[in-house]
Amino acid sequence: MKNQFNRRDFLKLASLLPLGMAPRLLRSVNNPPQQGKPQNVLVIVFDAWSAYNVSLYGYPRNTTPNIDRLASRAIRYHNHFAGGSFTTPGTASLLTGVLPWTHRAFDLNGKVAKPFVSRNFFSALQNHYGIAYTHNSWANTLLRQFSQDIDELIPRELLMIPSTNTFITRLFTRDDDTSAVSWERNTHLSDDGSAYSLFLSGLIENLQEKKIEDLKPLFPRGLPTSKSDIGFTLERAREYMLGRLTSIPQPFAGYFHFLPPHNPYNTSQKFINYFNEDGFLPIHKPRDIFATSQKSTLQNDRRLYDEFVLYCDDEFGKLYNSLEKSGLLENTWLVLTSDHGEMFERDIIGHISDVLYQPVVRVPLLIFEPGRTTGMDVHDYTSAIDVLPTLAHVSGEPIPEWSEGIILPPFARQSQIPERSLYALRAVKNGKYAPFTIGSFIQVRGGYKLHYYFGYSQTPGDGLVRLYDLNSDPEEMNDLAALKPETTAELLHELKAKLKLVNEPYL
Amino acid sequence: MIHSITSKYNKQGLWLLFLMSVFPQHLWTLIFAFRDISWLIDRTNVWDAIGNTSYGMVYAFFESLLIFGILALLGLLTPSRWEVNRRVAFLTLLLFITSIWGMVSQLLYLWNIWLPFPLMQFIASTGRPLVMLYLFSLAVVVPTVSFPVFAFVRWNKTLPTLLDFMDRLTTLSMLYLFFDVIGLIIVVIRNIS
Repeated sequence: MKNQFNRRDFLKLASLLPLGMAPRLLRSVNNPPQQGKPQNVLVIVFDAWSAYNVSLYGYPRNTTPNIDRLASRAIRYHNHFAGGSFTTPGTASLLTGVLPWTHRAFDLNGKVAKPFVSRNFFSALQNHYGIAYTHNSWANTLLRQFSQDIDELIPRELLMIPSTNTFITRLFTRDDDTSAVSWERNTHLSDDGSAYSLFLSGLIENLQEKKIEDLKPLFPRGLPTSKSDIGFTLERAREYMLGRLTSIPQPFAGYFHFLPPHNPYNTSQKFINYFNEDGFLPIHKPRDIFATSQKSTLQNDRRLYDEFVLYCDDEFGKLYNSLEKSGLLENTWLVLTSDHGEMFERDIIGHISDVLYQPVVRVPLLIFEPGRTTGMDVHDYTSAIDVLPTLAHVSGEPIPEWSEGIILPPFARQSQIPERSLYALRAVKNGKYAPFTIGSFIQVRGGYKLHYYFGYSQTPGDGLVRLYDLNSDPEEMNDLAALKPETTAELLHELKAKLKLVNEPYL
Repeated sequence: MIHSITSKYNKQGLWLLFLMSVFPQHLWTLIFAFRDISWLIDRTNVWDAIGNTSYGMVYAFFESLLIFGILALLGLLTPSRWEVNRRVAFLTLLLFITSIWGMVSQLLYLWNIWLPFPLMQFIASTGRPLVMLYLFSLAVVVPTVSFPVFAFVRWNKTLPTLLDFMDRLTTLSMLYLFFDVIGLIIVVIRNIS
């Protein structure tokens, strides 16, 4: 067949290429950037970091002395909610500015739906140099999806201690998580002493142990790890990050997602037994119907976690000081937050349960504004989806039209947040592109928090509904669903209507 | 080196030795990979759980190759007058004894079995517990190796019995190799999708 496409056609087509840039230019015209020098944006995420366990938010243990001190210059959000209760939905909501039922990354190690591959933190801050890193392989799955908008995606294994796992993740770059988990199960004797390999396990384990010998005294409980690697340290990540931030072009949009205080709670030697026998006794909460853990380990695990939070706090303090010394903070919006929380109550440990109590969904949010010398407390209910439009707004970029969030106070024009509902969900057992038939949902409105669980064996029939008044009962001890049937019905009706709406495309 | 190998093995012998190298490692991987499946499905999804098993099979294949290489080299130390079958059977015997000890060492942890307390007390009281522990292990392991080897060398019935047993295992090993191929296909799919 004769080729119909000649040189003239090619030149015609090439002349149209600049038109491809038009949408970007037009968007800039609609929402012109702020005057003056463009500012950097830096988001620091500590994984599985619950606001519940932060002294700044009233936790009786002094888990964050450095952050508490530095927060005197920050805007402190006291009622900030993650989009989901584990890495994938939490991180995806933070990075896309939409809820999990919109971006659809609510499955384990999931990816966002196709339209959101190009609708993310980095594409929203399009005039910034995008740089990103995460220790977390599931967050890395999302960052890799956004890689076309990231100028510098730092390889995950770069800041891990080199091991045979590093070789495996480099070999299987497109499936690094599963290949590394399998390699780990193959070569590393698990807690019960088993491994897939009969011979290599002992040999490789001995070799790897030798590699981390120098670090062992610094981390007596073991190195911080994602369990699919031999370990990493926040110190190394911090130093590398500083090195890059001081040498990359400005303005930059940085996203650094560190794994601690995610389990295993392997804190630094400096904080070992810091809270041991400190007499702290958290409020006793009854066993939940979704409980899986043994009561006996709850308080010990909570202590280990709190001591790991101390390590994060210490490292953040050092990072902040270095950023300040380098002069970067004069021109950088620094955001400190988390993708989801962690819980140690109701006989539930961690964040893999189906419940959405405050410790797993309420996360810290601090915004350090360049030049700000005084602190500010925001008690409005805010969501992870608000971070992206806020950062776009303050850094002089157009606010992405796809975002479901709002500009956070005090940066919004109006002094108060309009009355709205906040949502978070967990639907790992539901089909990714299917209507919701099983899942956990919360809705927060007017100080009330509605829990709605359906489709589980523990919640037969129409599901389970709980209502809490967060203002008078922040610990969620008194279920008001029966006492306030009207409020419950009103919120449930709104949530069901919302679910109907988000289910529509998948019916 | 190649001359030494060709003088001590033939193609059939090497293939049989490879199949025997495949057996214990794959058996162990399959048991534990399947044991992990429900745990993985709970934490990830069915496709990732299948992926984990597939990688496990691929890793097991390469470990089997490594074991095969070591065994083949070890076979060069056996007497030249031995027939290929006898050599392969002997190496298989050594591999299986080592494998059983590998399994036992993991199962002891898994089933939480420890040395009797008085014995641990005695070992601790010697002042050189590590040396004593090694000596104790040696005292247990040596008879389990020396007796089968003695039986193999001295009793004529041992070789045919062992060869018969190996012959039966080859079918299973072939099945495991088939699983490896499926595992490899899944690994490739996961890395191109």
